[in-house]
Amino acid sequence: MNLLRGRFYRITRDLHLYLGLFSSPFVLVFSVTVFFIVHAWLPKSAADAPKTRVVTGFILPENIETLSGRPLVDALRIALANANVPGEVGFVQHNATERTFVIPVTVPGRETVATVKVATSEATIVTREPGLAAAMLTLHKSPGQHGSNIRMNWFYMRAWRWLADATVYLILFISVSGIYLWYILRAERRVGIWLLVAGGVTFFGMVYALAH
Amino acid sequence: MPSLTETNPTTLKVLERWNRKLHFYSGLFLLFFMWLFAFSGLLLNHPDWKFTEFWTNRREKTDERPITIPGPEFQGDLAQARALMAQLKIDGEIMWTTTRADTNIFEFQVRRPGHFFFLKADFARKIMTVRYAQVNQWGILKALHVFTGAAMDDPRNNRRDWSLTTLWAYSMDAVALGLIFMVFSSIYMWWELPQKRVPGAVALLLGCIICGLFCFGLRWIY
Repeated sequence: MNLLRGRFYRITRDLHLYLGLFSSPFVLVFSVTVFFIVHAWLPKSAADAPKTRVVTGFILPENIETLSGRPLVDALRIALANANVPGEVGFVQHNATERTFVIPVTVPGRETVATVKVATSEATIVTREPGLAAAMLTLHKSPGQHGSNIRMNWFYMRAWRWLADATVYLILFISVSGIYLWYILRAERRVGIWLLVAGGVTFFGMVYALAH
Repeated sequence: MPSLTETNPTTLKVLERWNRKLHFYSGLFLLFFMWLFAFSGLLLNHPDWKFTEFWTNRREKTDERPITIPGPEFQGDLAQARALMAQLKIDGEIMWTTTRADTNIFEFQVRRPGHFFFLKADFARKIMTVRYAQVNQWGILKALHVFTGAAMDDPRNNRRDWSLTTLWAYSMDAVALGLIFMVFSSIYMWWELPQKRVPGAVALLLGCIICGLFCFGLRWIY
């Protein structure tokens, strides 16, 4: 029995260590960007000046102006790929009167806006590279709670969603295994329980005050 | 007086012991906060999970309440909104005020986790129409994750109208700081275990490569 318990302890300790090390860069991305979000502030990148280019022959499918939602995004993605604009397509604005589409496209750390005139098949493509902090912020907020019908239209952002989910599951595992590893240390139990209770009271007290 | 070489091993031992202690002390204190942000992050990642729907399941009521028109000392929409909220004893964050076509009508929204107030003041009639919506626990969970009271794209540069929002925002900072400390303290503890260095380095490197691909790599490749 003791042998089994010892083995379980060692396996849990090793998994806690290795999974914690694997997930640590992801945890850092989510943690550091909290400061940007909470204080609505983002470090500026030196190379943030927008670059503009005009693409002629930006061919769109004939029925493009009748599409909306995911079919519209999928149709635009093909044309964007031909114009060398890769990335996740965001909320597309269609001005039916002027026959234009404004298409935001994001690669973490790069923001592109393509303004397409359907009549002339001409696209003005403006690209900004706001840098690492902006890339991390994009990743923190992706995929986000809005526009689930169009989101995750780029393979890498779909992959990021799996990784963000995996980070959550790893944090849950690491915290539960951490509780087990702490509880084994008899000398630390009393202080640990006090801290757990203090954290719980702080947390539930704040949530109650905010949400009652 | 002991020399530096004599004190170093003791100092290192103390550092190691306290690093380890603080690692799980901070983990235990922040446990519920971490679970909240991790779990609510998962919910926000999956808006298609129907069981977490909150807006369609809301409870709503509307009533009219008398108001006093805010005096000239309340300059601007935000100041007027705060004055009206004080009259009606409504607490929360002012989300936005709409552009006024009619100067007698003033509309704005106030939110706090689980509670939505859609307010429409009619200065001519001295009446405030209060539409109030209350959402379920899933709505509260999601709101707590994003309830910072500050937005990057807010042209009014409004910063937190409610003291509890400020407290919550600073606790988000504290949780983030605690997590950053736990990451670095774990790296230190791992490095102190020579027999675990190679497998640990493989795990850390793998995490860094995958995460680095998204933070730096994608904009180089594409």
